[in-house]
Amino acid sequence: MAAFDFAPLIVLLPFTSFFVAVAAAIWRPNILPKGGALPGIAATAGSLLVSLWVAVEVLGGGRTAETVYVWSTGVGDAPELVFSLLLDPLSALMLLIVSLVATLVHVFSLGYMNDEDETGLPRYYAGLGLFTASMLGFVVAGNLLMAFIFFELVGLCSYLLIGFWFREAGPPSAAKKAFLVTRFGDYFFLVGVAGVFATFGSAAFAGPESFPAVAEAALTGEASVRTFGFGTQTWFSVLGFLILGGVVGKSAQYPLHTWLPDAMEGPTPVSALIHAATMVAAGVYLIARIYGFYALLPTVLAAIALVGGFTALFAATMGLVKREIKQVLAYSTISQYGYMMLGLGAGGYVAATFHLMTHAFFKALLFLGAGSVIIAMHHNEDMWDMGGLRKRMPVTYVTFLAGSLALAGIVPFAGFWSKDEVLYEALVHGLGGSPILLAAYGMGLVAVLFTGFYTFRMVLLTFHGDPRTELARNPHGVGWNVKAPLVVLGVLATTAGFLNMVPVHELLGFPPEYLHDWLAHDGGRSAFAGLTSEHYGELLHDWAGYSTVELSAILPGLVSLGLALLGAGGAYALYAGDDPEEHTEKLGAAKTVLYNNYYQDEYQVWLTDSVVKPLSRTMDTFDQGVVDGTVNTVSSVSLFSGRRLRRIQTGVVSNYAVLLTLGLTALVLVVGVLGGWFA
Amino acid sequence: MIIETLLAVTGLAALVTFLVPDEYAGRAAAVFSVLPLLGSLLLWARFNGAGNALVDGDVAFESAAPWMTLGGYKVQWFVGLDGVSLPLVVLTTVLTTLAIISAWSAIDERQSQFYALILFMETTLLGVFTALDFLLWFVFWEAVLVPMYFLIGVWGGPRRKYAAIKFFVYTNIASLAMFIAFVALVLAAPVETFSLPAVAAALRGEQIAGFLGLTPDLLRTVAFVAMFVGFGVKVPIVPFHTWLPDAHVEAPSPVSVLLAGVLLKMGTYALLRYNFTMLPETAAALAVPIAAVAVVSVLYGAMLALAQEDLKRIVAYSSVSSMGYVILGLIAYTLYGVGGATFQMVAHGLISGLMFMSVGVIYHATHTRMVGDMSGMADRMPVTTGILVAGAFGYMGLPLMAGFAGEFFVFVGSFGSTTLPFAPIFTAVAMFGIVVVAGYLLLAMQKTLFGPFRLDTDYEVHGAPLRDTAPLAVLLLCIVALGVAPDLFFGMIKDAVGPILQGGGL
Repeated sequence: MAAFDFAPLIVLLPFTSFFVAVAAAIWRPNILPKGGALPGIAATAGSLLVSLWVAVEVLGGGRTAETVYVWSTGVGDAPELVFSLLLDPLSALMLLIVSLVATLVHVFSLGYMNDEDETGLPRYYAGLGLFTASMLGFVVAGNLLMAFIFFELVGLCSYLLIGFWFREAGPPSAAKKAFLVTRFGDYFFLVGVAGVFATFGSAAFAGPESFPAVAEAALTGEASVRTFGFGTQTWFSVLGFLILGGVVGKSAQYPLHTWLPDAMEGPTPVSALIHAATMVAAGVYLIARIYGFYALLPTVLAAIALVGGFTALFAATMGLVKREIKQVLAYSTISQYGYMMLGLGAGGYVAATFHLMTHAFFKALLFLGAGSVIIAMHHNEDMWDMGGLRKRMPVTYVTFLAGSLALAGIVPFAGFWSKDEVLYEALVHGLGGSPILLAAYGMGLVAVLFTGFYTFRMVLLTFHGDPRTELARNPHGVGWNVKAPLVVLGVLATTAGFLNMVPVHELLGFPPEYLHDWLAHDGGRSAFAGLTSEHYGELLHDWAGYSTVELSAILPGLVSLGLALLGAGGAYALYAGDDPEEHTEKLGAAKTVLYNNYYQDEYQVWLTDSVVKPLSRTMDTFDQGVVDGTVNTVSSVSLFSGRRLRRIQTGVVSNYAVLLTLGLTALVLVVGVLGGWFA
Repeated sequence: MIIETLLAVTGLAALVTFLVPDEYAGRAAAVFSVLPLLGSLLLWARFNGAGNALVDGDVAFESAAPWMTLGGYKVQWFVGLDGVSLPLVVLTTVLTTLAIISAWSAIDERQSQFYALILFMETTLLGVFTALDFLLWFVFWEAVLVPMYFLIGVWGGPRRKYAAIKFFVYTNIASLAMFIAFVALVLAAPVETFSLPAVAAALRGEQIAGFLGLTPDLLRTVAFVAMFVGFGVKVPIVPFHTWLPDAHVEAPSPVSVLLAGVLLKMGTYALLRYNFTMLPETAAALAVPIAAVAVVSVLYGAMLALAQEDLKRIVAYSSVSSMGYVILGLIAYTLYGVGGATFQMVAHGLISGLMFMSVGVIYHATHTRMVGDMSGMADRMPVTTGILVAGAFGYMGLPLMAGFAGEFFVFVGSFGSTTLPFAPIFTAVAMFGIVVVAGYLLLAMQKTLFGPFRLDTDYEVHGAPLRDTAPLAVLLLCIVALGVAPDLFFGMIKDAVGPILQGGGL
């Protein structure tokens, strides 16, 4: 198991680059070539290599769940709290995704940050390094506490990087909002973590002592746990919902999605890495990680599916009318994570993981492509100021187009296969007897249409037609460090879907569904049998009551493809000309509502500014007037009344000392006499 | 004799500092304060105690000598340490040294008196945390007030007299209530000594007699409430907290550091030692009101912090909030609950110390603490800002910093407590404090540290000198170290709180 011995390096290498960059930022800002980019690139590339090695080991059947550090030793019944490493197919896959995207984003940053002469680069690379380390730490976490710890740390990095341009007014505000909204979700998560410990005495993910395994045993009556007066499954559902709070915050699901569009104030490579490909995925990944727990809880699953389907549709509609390229991508990100939630809620564990992977590639690609456009446009992000960039930036255009085709779900690009599988899972389980899943499926299906539309509206406005401004006529060139990551991700966005072509497999019997195989087995280690998709399938059937109908994957696939093409065609019809018009005005009031994001932000601002803050001021008035007022009143009528107090305030230090000593002595004497000490 | 040496050296240092000329006093005090610091680290390294000092434990560095007899009651010089008190001793010495260094910039008059009082206060604080005889302990407990009174009253802000008197009178009346209650318990118990382990054994184990017409049970309850309020003023718990913001706002920053960092912990330490160790059944019977006080302190304190415009008041009210978690952990009576509460005392001491110190550095540069008077300080004071941001996240309970460890231990411990009815509900409601604290600290940081630079007081602002930032950095390192490796202290804490637990839960 040599690879597993080196696995801690995956986390420690980026952490070292963080440390180097911080040290440089404090003492010698100019000592690092490229402002700290090179240590970062070396570290993330190292993590990528070790991750590859780990993946090979896992492919060969290797699995491990081991304690690497005891944070707090256990005494008696009180559990020990540990950092543990869980390496299995799911975490190995996620390690590859995160370390690959992180490496590419570091390279891209050379073009986006260094070549643009940004100041504060060591601080930037320190943030990226700490983020990468924390995210990778989250991925390999072997228990809920460690997952929470890194979940919070990635939130910190997100805060620091969104607010990177702290001298302006917008980014610090967006950073605050991002941390606060996700913290609201994390509150529920933390209550859930405490609840899991109190219920199961352990928060481990893998093995017979793990909390999903104990939960299953408790439901069959083989184990007993504290359920605080609730029915066993009800109490588990409460815990499941609590943990879900963190997921909804981090993965920007309704109603805690509002922070993500604002987070676009951060540098674009940060948006690509943190707010599209990885950190936002942390929520979804957490559900997948403890799917053995959620698969026991039909109520929670239904809620996950519903939230996911609704968010997919809801966010897609807002993406229809945005002017800034990054805003379109932000709402699209929220929408796509909705699909993953839908997949998980609908029992499509593999499908959701698959979409998580393809989305990481194509959305990182789209954000980096947008970054390339933004460099070219001298940091103007308004699509209505662009146009015609296709001829001037062919590499960016071709790769961006590949990402867009994947996002819209056009065959054979990656997103088609994964989104299609998510919808297929929702459909077959819905037809198997769950109207809620069917409703969620319906929303997901309509969202496909909108996705096709906003994606191609974005492509057409940015790259096609005639340039609409001087900036777009003479764009700034971009270097290899921008193009190379785009090409790598472009290839992945095109081909990653071939890993798991369900309809093709059904039709032809080949190629194998690699991802299904990857996630299905325990590698011959029974301790990991509880973490396989096979096991999850059994749990879903036995406990969640999920059943499927026999249904070909081909027809549903054609339906969603047709809708995607319809949406794309609609965009083409409206925006394909040399000089497209803004059709959004025709939507009338609907446009205003969409453009203002259904007033969700206003509602949250109202909640803080018009409810919480006045409440706190009222409490302050109460505290000053009533609570402290009572204290002052009491003291002024007491022995220490104001006038007497003034008389003894002579200002002479020795007087005070005498007074204090006398007081103390008197106190002891009074009690002594009362107690009869001197009798 | 090692504790006696520690106290004597610190006290002597105070005397010598008093005689040092003003211009050398700060340097001299810093050098002198390193001696108790090293001494406390030596105690830590050679700590060989086991169990709880009050409940049949092996007391480390125990030293006792007869002092006098009062009406048949033996009073001793009796000092020693266990896993609860040693971390607080280390906290005291670390914060004192750093507060002294941070005072170099902040204090520019009557320096030798100032530093002498700080060192004198350190002596008395060390006495409070090491004394194991009630009267000895009470002498130290009261003696702490004297230097603090002068430190606020002489070196404080415009309303220093009011704040100092309020602090002194309020805590002194509280001490009186507590003193009478405890002495009544001793008189009713079958003991002839003020030795705390002996009194604890009697109160925990045997039936006590009535006193002045009170039945034993009523006496326990009345005494418990009187001591709870008496110590609670120091903590402070709502509604006895209003002296704290006034004292903090008027006190010079280095004094605020010690006030929030160590003095408040006297209250929670005493609650643990007296109420929760000696009267566990009474505490359990009063669990619901106590937990309600904890929850109200957490949320009310946090909401008040949200309404403040003065950076120091924000941090002051947030202390009320954080100390509420300590009360919650204590009443849980579980290993992680009581242990976490003790750990939180140290963690909050370090973090609030860091916050007051960094606010002090900004105040020294800008001559204002009002949120509305400045913005964009990050541009001019990058290192201070960086540390302040880190400290604020520590306050918000960022994992791998000490505050998270303390709060998480408390939450895990209290969620499943069987002593406290409705424990999950109390815990979940109190935990909402972690959202409010993020709200007010993030808002204050956004307004003051970020955005375009603006300063209404028109002072020229430069980066803080190393002597200002070095103590901040050291504190930050301590906070991270305890967050990454809580067992540095938490191991001995768990060992020491084990014997006083009751009921079930983690």
